Amino acid sequence: MSDYKSDSSDTKGAKRSMDDSISKDSKRVKTNGKEKMADYNPYLAHMYEGEGKAAGQKSILDTFTRQKTTAEQASKAEDLDVNPWTNQPHSQQYFKILQTRRDLPVSKQRQEFLDMYHSTQILVFVGETGSGKTTQIPQYVLFDELPYQTGKLIACTQPRRVAAMSVAQRVANELDVELGEEVGYSIRFENKTGPKTMLKYMTDGQLLRESMHDHDMSRYSCIILDEAHERTLATDILMALLKQIAARRKDLKIIVMSATLDAQKFQTYFYDAPLLAVPGRTHPVEIFYTPEPERDYLEASVRTVLQIHATEPEGDILLFLTGEEEIEDACRRISLEVDDMIRESDAGPMKVYPLYGTLPPHQQQRIFDKAPEPLRKGGRPGRKCIVATNIAETSLTIDGIVYVVDPGFSKQKIYNPRSRVESLLVSPISKASAQQRAGRAGRTRPGKCFRLYTEKAFKKELIEQTYPEILRSNLANTVLELKKLGVEDLVHFDLMDPPAPETMMRALEELNYLACLDDDGELTRLGSLASEFPLDPALAVMLISSPEFYCSNEMLSITSLLSVPQIFVRPNNARKRADEMKQQFAHPDGDHLTLLNAYHAYKSAEQGGQDVKQWCHEHFLSFRHLSSADNVRQQLRRIMETHGIELISTPFTDKNYYTNIRRALLAGFFMQVAMRESSNSKVYKTVKDDQLVMIHPSTVVTSPYDWVVYNEFVLTTKQYVRTVTNIRPEWLLEIAPVYYDVDTFEKGEIKSALTRITDKIKRRQVLKGSR
Amino acid sequence: MKPFKTKDTTPPVNQSTSNDDQEEEEDYMKMTFTDDVPSTTRRPETSLQRRQRERREAEARGRVKSKAEIAAEEEARREAALSKSLLSTDPDAIKKNKGLSMMAKMGFTGGALGSKANKDAKAEPIKINVKDGREGIGLESERKRKLREMAEQAGEAAKKVKVDEIGYRERVRLEREEARLEGQLRGAQKIAAQMDEEMGSLEKRDDETDSAKKKAVVPNSSRPLKSLPVVYRGLVRAREEAERDRRMRHDLEQSSSSSSIGPLSSRLPVYVDDEQDDDDKMALGKDRASTIYVTADDLDEEDEELAAFEALPTAEKLAKVVMYLRERHRYCFWCKFTYPDEAMEGCPGVTEEDHD
Repeated sequence: MSDYKSDSSDTKGAKRSMDDSISKDSKRVKTNGKEKMADYNPYLAHMYEGEGKAAGQKSILDTFTRQKTTAEQASKAEDLDVNPWTNQPHSQQYFKILQTRRDLPVSKQRQEFLDMYHSTQILVFVGETGSGKTTQIPQYVLFDELPYQTGKLIACTQPRRVAAMSVAQRVANELDVELGEEVGYSIRFENKTGPKTMLKYMTDGQLLRESMHDHDMSRYSCIILDEAHERTLATDILMALLKQIAARRKDLKIIVMSATLDAQKFQTYFYDAPLLAVPGRTHPVEIFYTPEPERDYLEASVRTVLQIHATEPEGDILLFLTGEEEIEDACRRISLEVDDMIRESDAGPMKVYPLYGTLPPHQQQRIFDKAPEPLRKGGRPGRKCIVATNIAETSLTIDGIVYVVDPGFSKQKIYNPRSRVESLLVSPISKASAQQRAGRAGRTRPGKCFRLYTEKAFKKELIEQTYPEILRSNLANTVLELKKLGVEDLVHFDLMDPPAPETMMRALEELNYLACLDDDGELTRLGSLASEFPLDPALAVMLISSPEFYCSNEMLSITSLLSVPQIFVRPNNARKRADEMKQQFAHPDGDHLTLLNAYHAYKSAEQGGQDVKQWCHEHFLSFRHLSSADNVRQQLRRIMETHGIELISTPFTDKNYYTNIRRALLAGFFMQVAMRESSNSKVYKTVKDDQLVMIHPSTVVTSPYDWVVYNEFVLTTKQYVRTVTNIRPEWLLEIAPVYYDVDTFEKGEIKSALTRITDKIKRRQVLKGSR
Repeated sequence: MKPFKTKDTTPPVNQSTSNDDQEEEEDYMKMTFTDDVPSTTRRPETSLQRRQRERREAEARGRVKSKAEIAAEEEARREAALSKSLLSTDPDAIKKNKGLSMMAKMGFTGGALGSKANKDAKAEPIKINVKDGREGIGLESERKRKLREMAEQAGEAAKKVKVDEIGYRERVRLEREEARLEGQLRGAQKIAAQMDEEMGSLEKRDDETDSAKKKAVVPNSSRPLKSLPVVYRGLVRAREEAERDRRMRHDLEQSSSSSSIGPLSSRLPVYVDDEQDDDDKMALGKDRASTIYVTADDLDEEDEELAAFEALPTAEKLAKVVMYLRERHRYCFWCKFTYPDEAMEGCPGVTEEDHD
């Protein structure tokens, strides 16, 4: 829940197929002494007089007039033997890359771009994937804005963490500079920028967080919103903010970059901003539909892939499916069938690779492997087949794909304020998505796209555009950020797609219950503090309140563990063994406590000097996710220390050690509580929303209480609550008396249960008093 | 004693009267009390009633629900929650709902959020559709379309029935008319069959006149059905079929009643008891041996000519039989008279109306 980018954030491999050799070879001699630059302040750049760029030496850039440069000037500067930004000689690699850069479609329109950039404050730029816009446009701006003259940076936002990291690396290579120096990146929990940084790639969420303390984004002279067509929550909010800021700051330039041609919506939104379109390097793609709707799209997918392999000429296949389980299943089935085909009908070899967000990076890299050679000389050519989630739709480019198989589904986040369900659901894609998928087939040569639905279904059943994230999310976090950003009137805040009023209402209500907003909708001190944490409000409030329960250290660990993907690994071939290992850490009262136990075991293994990777492997724990939890913990700890939140623990020997933790959970998650229907039932009912749920089978809780607190509500074909911990209902009345005010409940079992408990507490108090 | 009670349940010792009232009020909420019974004058529940109610509730609670039940209930609850808007224009409700009241303070008056110029703004949350299984896109709507078509057809049929209901009398009249025509048709067919037989037997100089026996023994039945005129072939065929069925049933009964004797018992010689009269024999099925059955051998064959005839409306069939009688036997079905000459002088016409 809190980790709202878990699926995409761990995608390694990034936007462009990274050229590993380049990053290795481009090691250069370190530039001038770092010590000297240590207290460099970008705001005072003008006082250093060019020191930032070239340490006092003359550079060709000094002859440029800011915001009046030409493509010719810039090319000249790029062609020099000396790097104009560092005054260091260019590496051999640099010129090689420069050649490929000049071949990019966007390169031909550099002058056109600059002319338009000079003429307007806001510019909409459309370039299909492969046009080179993400890497080149920020550099074109760099040569025009000359950040060392103003001390203001250029920001380029990306929806995904990995994209921000890998693009920054690529651009650092292209500019022949060290990553983290002139070119850097900033993502949640990681900042790789320095005092010399001129161009900063960052996640859209990160820019949003930054602007909470800098309402005018005054650090930047140009902000580039890349991949705006993806319409992430943060990009949408940024667009609305920038629309306001642009009116205040006439010197701020804004470029909105989109990969799809329906950029008109962006133009209209930004007061009819001018548009520049660059064609991508694409080949025609022939589209095929099925004559009848499919009964089982997975089976149809496997069949189609095999058919392509048997009948179509050379070329790799990309199959889109919805999730890990489905993808692994399909990979297994295809591999088995291909083995048969090779034996029976002399088919060529085919390698099948899965690709999804939670796949370890080294396995993700395998998709860039070459297709296998023919089995014997002159035999049928081999090919590779990649079975991917929709991360292969826009964020990742794999060359060599000629055939695309599109069943028309993807897993999408969905939120409905009425039942407060936020979940990932398999849903039909949009027409725009389908076109994007088809386009993947035409990257290297004319391709074919096989849609596993009828043309009629394409026309009638698919929506035009995927709903922007803002319409599919719980906005509690966003509303808190907006409040912190100084947006007072949330009702008339000019978003491109405003959320449903009910969603806004729920967000305000939740923040009010969490005491982050007062009854007038004003930010409280707690709310202001909570917004400092890059967490969901419930988690932030839980963390801030944890010293009251004498367990802030433990809650810090739990919060970090909840902010990373599942740390328990359960491979298909060793499920039983994995479950046994998990049982070692199990605490009968809750999954939260189990997470904590596993983390403590991990830390003591680390301190005991063991090979932690090996230890994790043996205990079926994800080293990657545990170490990233460790990193998150450090970041959060720093924020807590900055704001004077005490870090304390109950002694482990104290009988209240775990009880305190369970109580502290409720300080943030009192709205995520479920009551058992009856003592022998497996069915629980969520408080207030009146939804029936079951505890997710992954739980370790063996003797569930009548009341549980849960971390997330999962809606598949069944309704589950995942990561649950037993609680006592008395605690609810004590810790969240406003939410659990019996009078506000609808009549029903939960109200009667709460009434009984209230009475019991009253009696106990009376008894105590009379004694 | 009551294992279903959780430890949080109020123990009876501590029940004060005020407590009682409160619980009572809640527990009765699912029942509807009409306004004419004000809550202040409501009679308190007796201990007996209370115990019964508690037992009922405990049983309901204690029963373990099946997976399907749980799933159905889950879905019902979800749908119920999803279909209910949280917004309200009622000032009291706004005051109660803090989120709404905050929005009201920001100037929310209903409709969508955002800039007023934005026409695309949504006023309702996006619907949630839980996909079940791995059906491809379009399959569900295809199925729905088929269902809808079926429903439409059913609707049309229902409409037809409705229309007919309006003309109930008309329908009854038509039904009666139909029944009357059927009766007349059967009568005409019988006459035609009989007259043909008589004519045939006259031609063969056969003086056998007992019509009751004819159908079993005279050539009519032994002739292939297809040689009979189509106008009454159906009647003979039905007779033959009925006869065959009766005989088969009889054989079956015989074989089952006297297990030692096979299905052909009716054809076997039987012991003749003098004291048995005909009725006894009949009752015992012993008279069978004396009867010879000759069924038309083409009884099971398809008969297109007959089918075409049977498909005609009753009135038309009747008209055909009437015409057959007139042409072959110079008999008018309506006058009930065989005319001596071809002209059939004296007969007012070929239809029933002509004879009114």
